[in-house]
Parts: sequence; C-alpha cells; structure tokens
Amino acid sequence: MAKNLAIISREVFYFFTALIVLSIGLEIIWPNIILAYVNLNYIIVLWLISGLISLINK
Amino acid sequence: MIKPFWTKWSFLFKLRFIFGVILLIFLLLFLYLKIVPFGQISYSRDYSSAWRSSKGFISGFTPAERVDLETSEVPAIIGDPVYFSVFTPRTFDQAKMTIVYRDNLTIDLPIIEAGVLVDNIVWRYDLKPVDNKALDYLMLRWDKLEENGLLFLQKEKNYSSLADWEKDLAKGKIKDCSNVSTNCLAVYNYTPPYKYQIANYQPLLPLTIDQPLRGAHQFYLYLKDEPLHLDFSFIDQNLDLKPAPIKIILSSENGIIDTQIIDDPNLNPGSGQMEEKKVTIDKRNLSAGIYKVEVKITDDMIIKKISSSIGRLSFIHKIWPVSGQGNLKVYTDSNYLQVKALSPASLQTISFGGNKFSLTEAYRQFDFYSEDGGLIKEIKIAQDDLILENNGVFALSPNALINPSLMKVDRFFSVKMPVKYIVAEYQKPKEVNGFKVATVEFDLKNAYREKGKYNFMIAVPGLKADDKLNDNLEIYKINIEFEGRTLWQKIWQ
Repeated sequence: MAKNLAIISREVFYFFTALIVLSIGLEIIWPNIILAYVNLNYIIVLWLISGLISLINK
Repeated sequence: MIKPFWTKWSFLFKLRFIFGVILLIFLLLFLYLKIVPFGQISYSRDYSSAWRSSKGFISGFTPAERVDLETSEVPAIIGDPVYFSVFTPRTFDQAKMTIVYRDNLTIDLPIIEAGVLVDNIVWRYDLKPVDNKALDYLMLRWDKLEENGLLFLQKEKNYSSLADWEKDLAKGKIKDCSNVSTNCLAVYNYTPPYKYQIANYQPLLPLTIDQPLRGAHQFYLYLKDEPLHLDFSFIDQNLDLKPAPIKIILSSENGIIDTQIIDDPNLNPGSGQMEEKKVTIDKRNLSAGIYKVEVKITDDMIIKKISSSIGRLSFIHKIWPVSGQGNLKVYTDSNYLQVKALSPASLQTISFGGNKFSLTEAYRQFDFYSEDGGLIKEIKIAQDDLILENNGVFALSPNALINPSLMKVDRFFSVKMPVKYIVAEYQKPKEVNGFKVATVEFDLKNAYREKGKYNFMIAVPGLKADDKLNDNLEIYKINIEFEGRTLWQKIWQ
C-alpha cells in the first residue's frame, strides 16, 4: 500500500510537470489561450505540493 | 475484450495511461477552445463576483480616472468614455453584447452607447445604442410604430406605416412638415432614404484653406454640375517613431468613389525632419449632392493646405487648427462646443456665439454652450492648437458651412424642439430585478483587432469625472456572444 502511495504521488508530480510544460508550450504558440481560462499559478502550487508529498513518501 | 488488456497492465502503466488520457483531453479541450469549430462562443465577466480563477477574456475598464472601483462593489463609470478589450482566440463576424447595469445618471445624461473600434488611425468606434431616455420618454407619449426593427414615433398620427412615410420622405414632402432638413425630423442610429439638396444652389468660388490642421479630419462638400478637384499638401513631422501613412476616402451616399493611399516608408522616425507630401483627387461628372472626404492621418501629420474647386466645405464634428499664429475665426452650426488646449500657450479666453469662455487648463476638455439663437455661430480664437469638437460642422468662412445631417436624438435633443417625426433603430433596455439589461449587436467584419483583442467602448456623452457630481453608471455584468465561420466553412470556402 505504502509502495503504491509513493508511486501515485510521484506520478501525480510527473502529471503536473507535464501539464505545466504543455500549458506553457500552448501559451507560447497561442498567447492567452490557457491564461484566459486557468491561472497557471494554481497549477504550479499544486505541482509544488505534489512534489513535496512525493519527496515525503519516497 | 478490454478487460484482459487492463488486467495484464501493471499498476504503474495503468496510472500513466489515465494521466496520459487526462493530458490528451486537456490538449484537445484547449485546441477546441482555440479553434471554436462550430463558430459560436460566449465570454462573460461578472463584476459583482470578487473571485477570479483566471485572467479572463474581458479586460478591466480604462482609463482608471474615469472608473470608480472603491465606492461600489462593481466598477462605476464616472467619466466618458471608457474602454475595454476582449481577447478572442480567433476572428469572428458578429458579436452580441449584453450589459447588465444600474444607471445613477442625471437627467441631462440621457444617452448610453457601446461601440467597437473599427479604425485605429482616427479612433472611430461603431457606436450602437444601449439606452436613450429621450426616446424612452417619447415612446410613452407619442404615437409609436415598430416595423422591421425600426421605431417610428409621430407627434400626431399622420401615417399608419413607416413605409408610407419613407415614400413621402423620398419625394421630399412629409405631411405637416414645411422643411424636412431643418427641424421636422430627428433620427437615431438610422439613416433614412433622404437626399440632401440645396434649393437654388449657386456655386461659390474655389476655396483654399491654408490654415494648418493637425491629424485626421473629415469634411462635407456640396456640388452640382461641377468638377471636383482637391489638392492636399501634408507635412509629416517625424516626431514619433510610427509610420505616417495617408489615406483619403471620397464617398457619397451610394458608397466609396475613390481611395488614395500613400504609404510611409518611415525613413526618418523620430528625427523631427519634416517631409512634405501631396495628394490630388480629380473627379468629373459627379451627380449633384453631398460628398464626404475622410483624411486619415496620424496626429504626427499636419494638413498644411487644402485647395478645393468647391466652395462649400465643412469639417465634420472636429477641427484642430495648429499654426502657432493667432486671431482665427471658425464658424459652426451648433450651440455646443468642446474645446481642449494642447499646450499652456493656448490657454485663453475664446469667444463663441458672442459669449466669452475661459480656457484655464491645458489637456482638459471644456464644454461651452452659446445662447446665440442664430443658425451660424462664430468662434474667435486668439491662439490656436486647440481641438474644437461638437455635434455639428465647422468651416473657416460662414458661406462654406453646410450640414446635411438630420437632427439626432442625442444628448442635446429636447422634447421641446419642433420635431414631428422620429425614426430610430433602438430597443429599450429591459428591467430585471432592479437592473437594466441591454443587448447590442456589432458587425465585426470590419472591426480592428490587435494582439487577438477587439476593443470596445462604453460612452455616456457628457459624463465627467471631475464635475464633483455623484452620477455614475454601475456595470454588473458583460456577456459577449461571438459568431463566425465554422471550421468546415473555413476549410471549404
């Protein structure tokens, strides 16, 4: 169970990393397309939290 | 079929598969929102809600000094006009704007309009009515007909349909009206099928305007059985870094007749080195009537001289004389004048319709009203570099003054005027739970779009931020429905 939790927290962190990279990529290609709908700061906060949880569970 | 695959996959693979699908959905969703394949999308902003999860599509109002964000929970417009932009991921053909507002305006501010920017050189907005209290008042008291989206008001019922009235107007004879063009008919957001004619017209001598004028201007000309020859001489001051192209459009009521464009290679940006440019328009066999000339230039350019074969030439709504010389006389047909001094050296006492008015501050707009009952009012200026604006026309000699525009139900309109008919394309705003809700439609095909944004304006003519009155327009919500070509139409057409 603990092993699975570690895998999940790590994968969630990877997911948010990919989401941020994708969002920034889309913003570079089409400015405002993401920022008009979503504040990337919130995603970055979630990414940081998931990174910390992943480190704790390691 | 799927189950055997799913059971064979490891936990890590399943997890990555699920997150991969979420990322793919995210990508496809934003591609959908970027392309808008069905051609319709709506953006809104609720100003009463403090929570914002994103940057949004509709920007805040500018300039800041015309908006009060402190007193009320929503922005209150305290000065005219205010601007906002709307980001769209692609172009659209039409926009339907719904504004929810509460109006705390005084009785002398009867008009609210909204517009979209269509020309960024002369900053022209295509304005549409939001609220017109003069029309709202008359709709309750006069005979009212609504036909094909048009509102037809008659002081006394002489016509049973708008079509009958339009037929009579085309003939130049309306029941109970001695002179159509002067005081019998008023319009709002509507151009009737009416051709302006000067009775017993006698041509005037050719006109030379050698008073330099800064920036974009437009003027009317009236001619009959005469050739039209216009020579323009421009000075590009090269004080700013932007290119200064020249665009001159000659049009009549039937549309554009000629367009002259001179591009600017911008070889000396910001150098202050003056460049002279010339443009000529020569047209023969033009039918009798009114012609409009639009001179579209930036404020870095000066119209040094206009030589016209036609003597009747009047500037529409605005004139900006700039020579540094004094003692200029300008004539207008309006009782109202807006004046802005562009330098401290231009502060002075001006004479308008025989009354004296003081310009005490540079870059501030002053409003003056003349009590002169005459048709033509003289404006005497001791020092120029003033922007003169009103709802009428300006000319540099009284004989040159012509105004083919019909009376408008604008903020200067009074129900005491001897108007007998009003035609307007206007919908009264609805009242919902103490709020007013108005819907305005715009054609975006010719709208100006920069960096993915359309620029809009909300105008309350006459509303001033610095008049110390507690009058304002509170905006609660703006919703804009955009409509354009679908993806399939874009691909196949």
